Amino acid sequence: MNRNKSGNAYALTMLCPIKPGVEGNRIYADLIRDQLESWNMASVSPMSLVPNTYLCRFFVLDDIYTESLPGAGIWDALSDIRLIPSNEQRLAALPHTDRLQSRYLVFTSNLHGDVDDYLHGMWQSIHVEINTIWKYCYGFENVNDEVSFVAYAKKCCLDTSLFFVGSNDDSLAAQLKALYVKQEFSRFAQETQDLSASQLRLAYTAFMQHIKPRDVEQPTWMAGSTHVDL
Amino acid sequence: MTKALDLCDIQGNVVRAYGRFGFPIARYLLLNVSNGWGGRAWLTEMIPYVTNSATWGTGPDDAKRPKATLNIAINHAGLSALELPLESLNSFSTEFSMGMKKRKDITGDVGASSPEHWDPVWNDDANHKAVHILLTLNAITPHALENQYQWVTEQIEGSKGAVTLLDGHRGPNGQLLPYQEAHIIFENGLPTSKEHFGYTDGIGDPYFEGIQDAPERVAGRGKQMSDGTWQPLATGEFLHGHLDEAKEYPPAAAPILLSRNGTYLVYRKLHQNVASFDTLLAREGATYPGGAELMAAKFVGRWRDNGAPLVNAHDATSKLQWDADFAKASVDEKDAMLSNFTYDDDMSGARCPLSGHMRRVNPRASLEIKAGTCPGQFLRNEGAFDTPGALANRRRILRRGLPYGDSAKRDTDQGDHGVIMMMLNADIGRQYEFVQQQWVNYGNDFREANDKDVILGNRSKHVPNSVIHQADPEGDAPPRFVRNIPLLVETRGGDYFFVPSLTALRLIARGLIDPT
Repeated sequence: MNRNKSGNAYALTMLCPIKPGVEGNRIYADLIRDQLESWNMASVSPMSLVPNTYLCRFFVLDDIYTESLPGAGIWDALSDIRLIPSNEQRLAALPHTDRLQSRYLVFTSNLHGDVDDYLHGMWQSIHVEINTIWKYCYGFENVNDEVSFVAYAKKCCLDTSLFFVGSNDDSLAAQLKALYVKQEFSRFAQETQDLSASQLRLAYTAFMQHIKPRDVEQPTWMAGSTHVDL
Repeated sequence: MTKALDLCDIQGNVVRAYGRFGFPIARYLLLNVSNGWGGRAWLTEMIPYVTNSATWGTGPDDAKRPKATLNIAINHAGLSALELPLESLNSFSTEFSMGMKKRKDITGDVGASSPEHWDPVWNDDANHKAVHILLTLNAITPHALENQYQWVTEQIEGSKGAVTLLDGHRGPNGQLLPYQEAHIIFENGLPTSKEHFGYTDGIGDPYFEGIQDAPERVAGRGKQMSDGTWQPLATGEFLHGHLDEAKEYPPAAAPILLSRNGTYLVYRKLHQNVASFDTLLAREGATYPGGAELMAAKFVGRWRDNGAPLVNAHDATSKLQWDADFAKASVDEKDAMLSNFTYDDDMSGARCPLSGHMRRVNPRASLEIKAGTCPGQFLRNEGAFDTPGALANRRRILRRGLPYGDSAKRDTDQGDHGVIMMMLNADIGRQYEFVQQQWVNYGNDFREANDKDVILGNRSKHVPNSVIHQADPEGDAPPRFVRNIPLLVETRGGDYFFVPSLTALRLIARGLIDPT
């Protein structure tokens, strides 16, 4: 599992096969997609409640993408040069078109820390929401608590082949606090531009008391925010 | 490589900014076409009087300089009203087909600049009052302008309702007029190239292959080459039917004769909040190191009084020297001092800030960039691109137009004054809209996050309204924040038009456009 780690950051990739059933005249895969769209429209995503999520992504994978007839290799080359192989021979040599055996719910997450802790935390914070989309997947009928969820997730995991973390690998709370401090400090620098040295010293003390740089919990940016209110 | 363009076929406003050629006053008319057959008949009458780009002079092949000019541009709805075949209509670009109003989320015409606040002439689409045609009249004297206008209105009346002159341009004192007036600003009775914030305007203009302009004027106006020389830009950046900088023909309408030698024209009426500008200058300029006038220069990249570029006159001392050299220079040398410069020695923005209006709308080679060794330092990343200005060469725009209104009374933002901007380019999405959305209203390419162009940026109370004036990264002075920048420019009207060649106009008038 080393390929999934980058310092303290971890790349989780789950592919969960979706059952082919129908509910309310819609197939399960489309119901999952619909539920994910409603998460998209919510002001804050349920995933923002899952501790230590840097960046995650869901999508429904219907099938692999076929562009055109694949080549028949040497039979194509020969039939181009000399009309020796018959067209039937050439067509028989074409490989069959590949298909996935089922549709998949794909969940990827860049997270901080240990993946088992992360999955436990995910169940603890949003097990109701988890159920609304995962209930349509093979094997999820056996998931009814934290331990069985983690076991199920592990069965669906893949190793990634290339993992870059978009930021550093500090905890999410530390990163959100850092962004908050950076934003507030920029504002402070602008507002105090023309103060004298002694005025600046006073303002700086007040500023530090206000932002509490050592308190990672408060004040800070909320997880999942898409903009800062000015 | 020289290229001979058929200047008789190209409309005159494409290769000439009339204001620079002794035409200080203008009227811009908007027309509606209610009947295709009648509209085409009217167009047939107008075509012999449309000004083309033929060189003016007294030689045997030269055209006589007219006292007044006339040019025609048509929007998508107008081409449809003139009954162009559907296949031709569908072959114009998406931006042109939608029109500027529907593209407001791209152009940033929101809040005070939103179309519902525009002059009424742009907002009456029912009852045969939709805008279809833009007629631009420029003239040497008020008398010539009035004659031209009278003649045009007589022709319109002669169409017996097929073509109507639209009312609803807001003028001084809130009146609604059947035209938009524009004129150069006079100071002490003398003509200037100033605009209403006090800046000297209209200096830069792209130099492209085939325009009949002095070869030395390519410096600063064409594209920067690695060896320090300048070359003309490809014609196809500004005219359809010619190769562009990618050595392709720009996407253009079918058939070829409809679009060749034509181009798109972006018309925008921009109101200027002179009181807010003066207040900003007074407030932030009071404590600005180097003074308020230097700060004003840094908003744009040129000093207000004579347009001296900041890269060559970056403080009071160097400005005095520049002024002295300018006073002694010949006409050609003056032009070179104003235009022939690069940002090569100012990559970090210490002279011309990265938010400067001029730098934002034409970054020259300043985007061929890499980080330096100390904070805020940027260096030339020589050889990174095909040519140093490759990221800017395909975003150039021909600027036409004039200021409008009077700004003698500067204690209010409610006055009637601003600028009528007409921007010509072969591709609205790649050129005008890109610059407007990515470089004017956004700062990412300049490493300035969401910071907008000081002058044009569409500000509201929901976004941070400050910019940073960079300092020399190796010096001791800190950068300067300019804070609480108000909305300085508001859109009051506009649309996307097509400027057909004379050939295309004749084919449209005769109903002979055939895209099959």
